[in-house]
Formats: sequence, C-alpha cells, structure tokens
Amino acid sequence: MALRTRESLIFESSVPGKIGMDLPHLDVPAAKDTRPAHLKRNAFEALPSVSEVDVIRHFTRLSKWNFGLDDGMYPLGSCTMKHNPRINEKTAALPGFTESHPMAQDIHVQGNLALMFTLQEWLKEMTGLPAVTLHPSAGAAGELTGVMLMRAYHLSKGAHRRVILIPDSGHGTNPATAAMAGYDVVELPSREDGTISFEDVTDPSTGKIRKGFATLVAELGNEIAGAMITNPNTLGIFEYRIKEIADILHGIGALLYMDGANMNALVGTARPGDFGVDVMHLNLHKTFSTPHGGGGPGSGPVACIAALEPFLPRPVIVRETTKVGEGEVATHSYRLDWDRPESMGKVHAFFGNFGIVVRAMTYCLSHGGDGLKAATLRAIVNANYIRKQLTGVFHLEYDTPTLHEIVFDDSIQTKKGVSTLDIAKRLLEYGFHPPTIYFPLIVHGALMIEPTESESKEEMDAFVDAMKKIAKEADENPDLLHQAPTTTVVRRLDETTAARKPILRWTKA
Amino acid sequence: MRYLPSAPSEDRALLDAIGVGRAEDLLKGIPPELRLNRELELPPQASELDVLRTMTAFAAQNRRFTARFLGAGAYDHFVPTAVDMITSREEWFTAYTPYQPEVAQGTLQAIFEYQTLICDLTGLEVTNASMYDGATATVEAALMAVRQAKKKNTILISQGLHPHYQEVLCTNITPHEGLKLVQVALKDGVTDLEDLKAKLGPDVACVMVGYPNFLGCVEDLKAISEIVKPAGALLVSVTQEAMAFGWLEGPGKLGVDMACGEAMSFGNYVNFGGPFLGFLAVKDAYKREIPGRLIGQTKDLDGQTGYVLTLASREQHIRRDKATSNICSNQALVALRANIYLQLAGPEGLKGIAEQNAAKAQYLRQRLLALPTFEAVNTQPFFNEFVLRYKGDVKAMQKACADEDILAGLDLSSYATALQGCTLWCATETTTREQIEHLVEVLARIPSLA
Repeated sequence: MALRTRESLIFESSVPGKIGMDLPHLDVPAAKDTRPAHLKRNAFEALPSVSEVDVIRHFTRLSKWNFGLDDGMYPLGSCTMKHNPRINEKTAALPGFTESHPMAQDIHVQGNLALMFTLQEWLKEMTGLPAVTLHPSAGAAGELTGVMLMRAYHLSKGAHRRVILIPDSGHGTNPATAAMAGYDVVELPSREDGTISFEDVTDPSTGKIRKGFATLVAELGNEIAGAMITNPNTLGIFEYRIKEIADILHGIGALLYMDGANMNALVGTARPGDFGVDVMHLNLHKTFSTPHGGGGPGSGPVACIAALEPFLPRPVIVRETTKVGEGEVATHSYRLDWDRPESMGKVHAFFGNFGIVVRAMTYCLSHGGDGLKAATLRAIVNANYIRKQLTGVFHLEYDTPTLHEIVFDDSIQTKKGVSTLDIAKRLLEYGFHPPTIYFPLIVHGALMIEPTESESKEEMDAFVDAMKKIAKEADENPDLLHQAPTTTVVRRLDETTAARKPILRWTKA
Repeated sequence: MRYLPSAPSEDRALLDAIGVGRAEDLLKGIPPELRLNRELELPPQASELDVLRTMTAFAAQNRRFTARFLGAGAYDHFVPTAVDMITSREEWFTAYTPYQPEVAQGTLQAIFEYQTLICDLTGLEVTNASMYDGATATVEAALMAVRQAKKKNTILISQGLHPHYQEVLCTNITPHEGLKLVQVALKDGVTDLEDLKAKLGPDVACVMVGYPNFLGCVEDLKAISEIVKPAGALLVSVTQEAMAFGWLEGPGKLGVDMACGEAMSFGNYVNFGGPFLGFLAVKDAYKREIPGRLIGQTKDLDGQTGYVLTLASREQHIRRDKATSNICSNQALVALRANIYLQLAGPEGLKGIAEQNAAKAQYLRQRLLALPTFEAVNTQPFFNEFVLRYKGDVKAMQKACADEDILAGLDLSSYATALQGCTLWCATETTTREQIEHLVEVLARIPSLA
C-alpha cells in the first residue's frame, strides 16, 4: 500500500461543529463574565474544528515523513544520536514525577530533590568537577550559564575582563553565547593537525596572519576572561595541549570553559576536571540518551570548580543527613537553598527540564560506571571503523587520531561537480540520515560522521557500502546525485524563496 | 549491556579492521597523564527491572495530592490521551532538528501549524518554533526590544510579572552594561498607570506587563498601550498561563508589539516545572529580528508545497557572535504537544475549557471568601487564579490542607511586604466541586485566631 504523499494543513480540514475534545461536566455555576468588553476573546482565525480521529490520523501521516532514530543510522556529527531507551520514557511518565509541582514545598518533593542530587553526584564523578547545576534547558543555555559564572567570578575579584577566546572550529553557539553574556569574541585559529594553534597562522587563501593562542595571551593578557574550547573538538580530535592551555589561562587569571557536546568520547576515560577545565556544560540529550524530540527539549547541566560554586544559579539542592546511632542507616533529607548571596541569579523559571533529568538518571542507572565506559569505548571504535572504511573514498583533511567522530569532505567528488549536499541527499535514498554537513566551518564541504555506540557492525557496513556506492556514482553518474532525492515525500526545496518572501503561518485564503 | 550491539566475534572484527588490539588503543590521542587511570566510582550496570524499581522509589518519595490548588506559573490541566500517544511515536520524539527537510516534513509541517496557532492565540503575525520557558522567552523579548530601539537602554517591568521571570530577566540583563531594568509598581493588583507614566521617559525601550499577571489579575493592555505608544516604547505582554487566551483577547489585538510567556498548559504536565514551553510572538515588522528557529512554506523542484527552516541568517550557526540569540535546541516536542492539544480543542473546546477554568476559580474564590479567615485584597477581573489574604498562620493552614491530601495555594509572604499573609489560589477544569467543598471543610476546621 502506498503511503499518502500529501497531507494538507489541518486548517484546510476544519469543518465548523467538529470537536476533538469533549468538555468535562461542569459542576459549578457557569462563569460570570467579569471581563471588560474589549478584553473578551473574540473569534479565532486558525484553530481548526476537527475530531480526535482527524487529529490522530493527521499526526500519524505526518510522522511517516520523518526519519527517526529507529528508522536507521542517524550519524549527525556532534549531535550524538544514540539509542533512546524506552524505559527512560516510562520512568519520566511516573505520576509521582509528572504531578509534582515546582512551587510545592521542599518536604513534598523529596523524591525529585533526591533524584537531582544523585544525578549531580554522578556527573561530578564523570567530569571530575565538584559542583553541578541542572537548571540550564539546553546546551546553549548551559554555555550561557557557564560564561555568566565566569563573569560573576571575575567581578567578585574586581576585574572587568572583556574578551573570550573561541577556536574557529567551535560550534556557533559558543560565540553567540559569549556575545549574549556581554563579551567580545576573539577567534583562535586551528593548526594543520586540527588543534588550536599556539603560533600565528597564515591563511593560505588570503595571506592574512591570524594570531595564535600564545600571541593573543601575550597581547590581551588580563583582558581575557577565558576561553571556550570544545574537547574533543568538532573534528573528533582531542586537544592534547588542553592542560597547557589551562595553565596559561590560569596564569593570567583567566578561566577555561569546556563545551561538553562531545563528552560521549570521554565518559569513563578522561575527566575535564583533571585537565584544568574550570567550568563546562554537558548535553543530557546527547551523551545521556534523552530523546532529541525533533529539536528539543534538551538539558545542559553545568559543572564547575569549587571557586565558581558560590555563583551557581539559585536555588541549589542541599542534602542534610540525620545522624544516627551506630549500626543504623543514616537518613537524608533535601532542601532548596535560596539564600545564595553571590549567586548569578535564576536561569529558568523553575529547575530546568526536569523530565529530561529523570531520563538521564535512568540512563545512568542502566549503564552504571562500567556500562558508561563501555559505551564510550564502543562509540570510539565505531567512529574509527567508519574512518578506516571510508578513508580514501572520501578525503580526510586532518590525519590526526580521532575519537568519537570523523570529518571527511567532498574534495574528491567536487572534481566531478558533486558537492557534500548532493552526497547527503543521495544518502537519503539509501535509507540513512546524512551526517552533519558543512560543519565545522574550517573543513570546506564537511561531512561530519558520528555513529555513536548504538550502531552494530551490520548497520555500519550497510552505511559504508552506501557511501562507497555514492562515491562511485559521483564519479560515473554525477547527475544522479544532483537530482537526489527523488524517493522522498518532497524533492529539494526552494530555500531562497522561503527566505526572500517568508510565509511563516497559514492564513485563510 | 543491552544498549550496546556488542558480540565478541564482531567486536574483534571491528578492532581487526581498524588495526588495533583493543579499544583502549584508540585513546592514543589523549595524553596518558590526562586519562582517568581508574574505573568510575559509580554503581555497576543494572537490569531494566532493577532500574525501574530504583526510579519508582524516587517517585514514591514525592508527596501526591488528591486535590491541587497551586498554579503560580505551572498549571494542572487535563492532558488528552491522544497527546501522549501521538508523541510517543519514534518519528516524533527520536528525530532531531529538521536539518534535512526531505526526511523531516512531518516535523516541519507540524511546527508550521504550531506557529500558525500561536499567532492565532496571541493575535500577532510571527512566532518561532519555541523558547525554553516563559522566563527565558521574556528575556529574549526584552533583548529583542532593546535591539529594535537602538539607543534606548531601559526596560520597564511591571511588578506583576512572575517573580521568577523577573529574576531570570535580571540574571540575563545584568551582563549588558548600560541596560537598566526598572520596576513599575502595582496598585490594586495591576500595573499602576501613574507610576508607569512617571517612569516612561525617552530612554525606555519597552514596557513588560503580565497578562494575566502573577497575582492572577487581568491587566487592561489596551489602556496601557495607549500610554506606552505615544512615548515611543514597545509594549510586551508576558503571559504565564496561556490557557487564558481562550478567555481573553489576543494581546496583538490590544496594541502589544510582542507577546511572550509560557504555554505548558496545552497538553503538558506540571512535571516539577519542565520541560515547559516558552513562546514569543511579534509583529511582522520584527520577523528578521526574532530569535530561534522559524519554519517557512515553500515549493520543491516539482512545485509541491513543502516546509523548511528559514531566515537562518539570524541564527548562531550562521552569524556566530552577531546572531540574534544563542538558542539552538528548543522545546520542539513540547510545542508538538501544544499543537496536538490545540487541534483537539479547536475554537469551541479552547473557549469551553477556559470558561470552565474561570467558573471553577470564581466558585473557589466565592467559597473561600465565605470563610471568616479569608479576605479579598483587590477588585480586578481574574482568569483561573486570584489572591486572598489569610487571617491566620499560612504555614499552619497549608499543613492542615496537606494532612488531608490537599495542595493549598501559594504563600506569597516572601515575595513582597505588601503581600504579607496573602495566598495565591488556582482552580482549573480538573478541579471538582467536591474538592472545593472538602477544602472549605478542612479550612473551616482550623481553630480560628485568638
């Protein structure tokens, strides 16, 4: 049976009189209309009148146009699209959690506070850092919290530092975050092995000299608040001079922020706290398997050194242990401490994406310390297997050892006029989600592949096979790739017109 | 480990193909002195059954209530079963940001529909794919207003904004040297128009007003707009309970330039405050300045209608430090839940549910005021939440309720001196008359004051 190829906007299916939600019996007198006339809700222009059947079919049909993790390998680099265990969904839906109110008294939410406290303890052990907050709602929110912690720290020392150093391989959220926290961004160039350059680098195309880390530290000195460094970086390469970078920054009173987006390469094998990182964020929706939800919700906990702890967002969870007699088990109680005079303030209306925290705790308990490390090692093995299989078929700009992801480019294929975009679109026809494309920006035509630990040898072999076929097609029949995809519900879309004459909502014809 | 597709023979084959003896050899890029030379000091892996037991034990430590009268930014509404069922499809919850539109038309069309619905509710023309929550949406609205207003540096916030939103705003405005946050006082539960006029100088970029506000009062946005407009400032409404849009006119129809707030009420649980759903809607003139993801309609090569991420040149992955915001992941799945909820409700359902909220809250207020221990503190119209002064020990009253499995209203004493002894009560369509009578009975039993 052929799946429907079109599903109209729900608004076009609206028939006045239909309803998808029957009202509960009203057991009190009807509301008196106390509203001033001009504040009374008038007509709705778009809300559709449809039945429950209509709505369920609508979203079921739409869903079939999506590629999800359970449809196959989804190797988006730096996104860590690992398996989403179903038990995580079940635990997050326990009524004890879903009914719990964020403005309830501490004594009524002891389970939530105990859970959050426990996850914080696990994250401390994994990062080697002594303090954690779970409040930030996503990676970028974690970055902002982390950078504002750095700012609060410097201000407490009476220092107004204005610059944050960020490598050119960094995620776009890093500079955007620094700017949102009121800082000027100065870019650090990469050297030929893909890591941060201490020395100045001459741009081969423009001949322009870009100042290296050592030069910038010497020139800017105590203007530097800190550096934001992704490790392993977006090429999957460990910044092996990270400790030296930390020491130099500390020497001028600056701090080191680590973007933990790629923490799936490190859990159980290396800890940022052990290599000089002062503050970092984690992505629970990447490393800790919580679902990506079509673009969120995520969660971006921040871990930091003791010197930054006083500035953490309030409230913080405090555990109090009831002293007991010998041989008895101690009991714990938890409370939210709002009395944090040096706190940077609140960063979320309540405590962040708690439901995501529940899922991540479930993931951690399932894996345990041993399973977490095993997952890391398998993620690294998988990425290196794909690296090995595809090297030579696709060009590898940086030959440095890589951990959990690998970045190829399209320079072999461009000789035949085939681009990374063409490769990605053709891959859709082979039943795989394409890698992250055109990122990091320092690799022209990047194809950034992160298989994660979830992929079996069979699935990776099928992916490798598809990529090899595509490389062959690029050589022999490039037009096949230019035309791709033809088997999806829509073909390539006109993004230029979409941006020039934006249509951002449905309006009645 | 059940999530790892590991088998000894295949593991060996992978390592052989790579050309290493063991997986640890692949850590060679990490200098040995930076590696963790011990195992993590954490419990070992556990079966699904054992994990479920541990997690259930956490959940069981929370106190559950049979009746709940607490709102204050997180509202207990009924969630239709279809919302949970649809969003549990892997195609919705396991996918990521729709970077490859040809295999993400489901997500893209759904967000386009969501954008349409939020515009309809707010009476504005453009909205994004979601923000983290009401508080951070308020921050983004303020920053956007300041960008628009160029040289103006003052943000006027009504004291009626949720105190947590005010604090999050303060956290995020503080780093911007030169920007000022100034509070406008309340009078009789709503923004004091005289104080507003006095503070509305030429340096004011925007005025932010609750709708309804934290005390549940409905602010007259039209009257406020008539004061703010001539001063050349932007008016931003902040709604912490979006269900009110079924009862109250869309702020865009009342003269606001931007509407932001919290829309968790559409198809979500209170869930200890997250994941929730921030929204930000603006007039068409500001579409190139709005932060976050936007979905646009377009055509494919064959002329078929389709949807794409658009106006990306505002965003961090293109503009880096010049972006309108750093937001990347948002609350997409929560937005999907709201979308499903609103489609199920439709215009009649949404108005009907909203009217029931108003009816239950009015009844609750009337019953509480019939007790000698409660008194009114303002005369404003309200939606599903209201403030009453309790003439006794609020903590003891809350405890007496909890002992009867009732979650009482919020103690407002710590929020402002003027609110000493005040309590904030909420009723929704889930509240029954029986629950209200039980509450009244419990409250009536509390020994009266000396």
